[in-house]
Amino acid sequence: MAAHTLRPLILICDDELPLRELIKAVLGDGYEYLEAEDADQAEAVLSRYEPEAIVLDVMLPGRSGLEFLSELRARPRERPIPVVVVSAWQSAQDAKAALGAGADAFVGKPFDPKELASVVETLIAA
Amino acid sequence: MIVATALGAAAIGATLGLFFAANARLKSANADSARAARVSAAAFDLRTQVIELSQAIHGVVERTDSGALARWHVAEAAWVPSAAALARAAAGNTDQKRRVEALRTEIRSYISDYGEPLVQIASVSPSAARSSAANTEGATRLQQIVGDTVGVARAAALDAAERSAAASGLAHQATVAGIVALVLTPILLILLGIWLARLVAEPLRQTVAAASSVAAGDFDVRLDERRRDEFGALAGAFNAMTESLRTSRRELVERAESLERSERHKSELITMVSHEVRTPLASVLGFTRLLLEREVTEAERRRYLEIVDAEATRLASLVSDFLDARLIEEGRFALRREPFDLGALVREQAELTLAHDEAHELDLQLPDEPLRVDGDRARLAQVVGNVLSNAVKYSPGGGRITVGAAASSGHARVWVADEGDGIPPEHRAQLFEPFYRGGAAAAGIPGTGLGLAVSRRIVEAHDGQIGFDPLDRGTRFWFDLPLEAGNGNGR
Repeated sequence: MAAHTLRPLILICDDELPLRELIKAVLGDGYEYLEAEDADQAEAVLSRYEPEAIVLDVMLPGRSGLEFLSELRARPRERPIPVVVVSAWQSAQDAKAALGAGADAFVGKPFDPKELASVVETLIAA
Repeated sequence: MIVATALGAAAIGATLGLFFAANARLKSANADSARAARVSAAAFDLRTQVIELSQAIHGVVERTDSGALARWHVAEAAWVPSAAALARAAAGNTDQKRRVEALRTEIRSYISDYGEPLVQIASVSPSAARSSAANTEGATRLQQIVGDTVGVARAAALDAAERSAAASGLAHQATVAGIVALVLTPILLILLGIWLARLVAEPLRQTVAAASSVAAGDFDVRLDERRRDEFGALAGAFNAMTESLRTSRRELVERAESLERSERHKSELITMVSHEVRTPLASVLGFTRLLLEREVTEAERRRYLEIVDAEATRLASLVSDFLDARLIEEGRFALRREPFDLGALVREQAELTLAHDEAHELDLQLPDEPLRVDGDRARLAQVVGNVLSNAVKYSPGGGRITVGAAASSGHARVWVADEGDGIPPEHRAQLFEPFYRGGAAAAGIPGTGLGLAVSRRIVEAHDGQIGFDPLDRGTRFWFDLPLEAGNGNGR
């Protein structure tokens, strides 16, 4: 129980299983993970848990990651959850769109493991 | 146009003709009047001669002077030219001519039956002559002759007066006709001018207006082709020209739109391919770096390498699928035909696609007997797999997927129906175009936009047909293939 409270909770929302595995491996054992394959599942998770951060893919089946993010930001929350958008679209325009939708950070795919780990660490520490 | 011009000319001609006819009749009436005056004058002259004859007879009988007998001989000869003159003057009028002839006969018989016997008696016995002359016969005859000459003169004068009146009436008519012609001619000319203007100027104006519209880019203008003249022919040629312009423009617009569409599809394709490639690539690169940078347990190392292997394999097959799809789409492929059971192929593909899919429920409707077709099993498996994976992809909410096959009228039909959102009408027409993905890219549904284009090529290469029917809920895709000979209905 003590370990559970110590380790921050992170929601990974990506429809690709290997990528969820990769993100978990990259971020390491210092976190506890919740997984969602699409926006609906992510919403269901958020109704029951209060993660410290969300790692969100853009290209999701059904609602896109950015649509989901905009809706999340539209609902007032006691403490806004930091969101890292991970996307295969990695132009400046895509990054701008992600930040415009309410993302706190943007990481393009393929990403450097160290970069993603440090971004998540920074957001949780803030 | 020619008919109208002729009518106008005829109207003017008729008016002028009336004027000239009236004029001619006036002239002839004047001539008649002059002749009547001559008859009248000649009749009075003859009357004078006849009175002279009677006085000469009287002179001879009474022996009033010595030259009485000579006077009688002069008078006896003098009346003849006067009578001839009267006959000439009256020659043009049958009634007068007849009256003059009767008068001449009367005068001659007056001379032969009365004058000459009396002159002879007088030379023998003047007293006998005087007693003979005393009877009333001579006076009665003379009175009759004088009355007749006056009758001729009067009849001629009357005729002349009548003709003069008629001529005067005709002169009036001719004047009226002349005035009418004078007034009518310019009016007719003006009407003809207006009519010609309408006939020529109006269609010309319409043609100019239509040409201006065409110049301004409006190719929908049409001229009235019903006229039978040169303008009708011009309108026909003009309409043919605008029609041809319209066709050319439509073709150009269609070509431009098709180019634009294909460009858009291509750019969507590049985006899609880069995404499809990047996702496995991210796993391969990420896990490789983890392995290089971190100390991991043997179990973790193995797990990571398995993922790298799987994702690299996925990349390789993605690339080869894409190349394959392009070759098929371009028609550069050969069929390896063999007879096989299409029903079994459908069952395999359906179970393979939906085996690990918990969101969808499979409803398989296959016949008991085999559906034998002669075709490329691997390519047709690709078609069935494509239609099935579409059914799964485009019904993200899950639901029933009905997969069936059956024989009907020499064909084998395969169908796959989903309970998804269906295809919006605006995307239906282009569904089988290569790289066309409708709203799929925006909805985050992966794909290259080649699946249906490739499927159509494969089905058509088998002399089959592919299509779809929108359902109340979802879509049913189907394709028909010819059944192998010897596997018809019920055989």
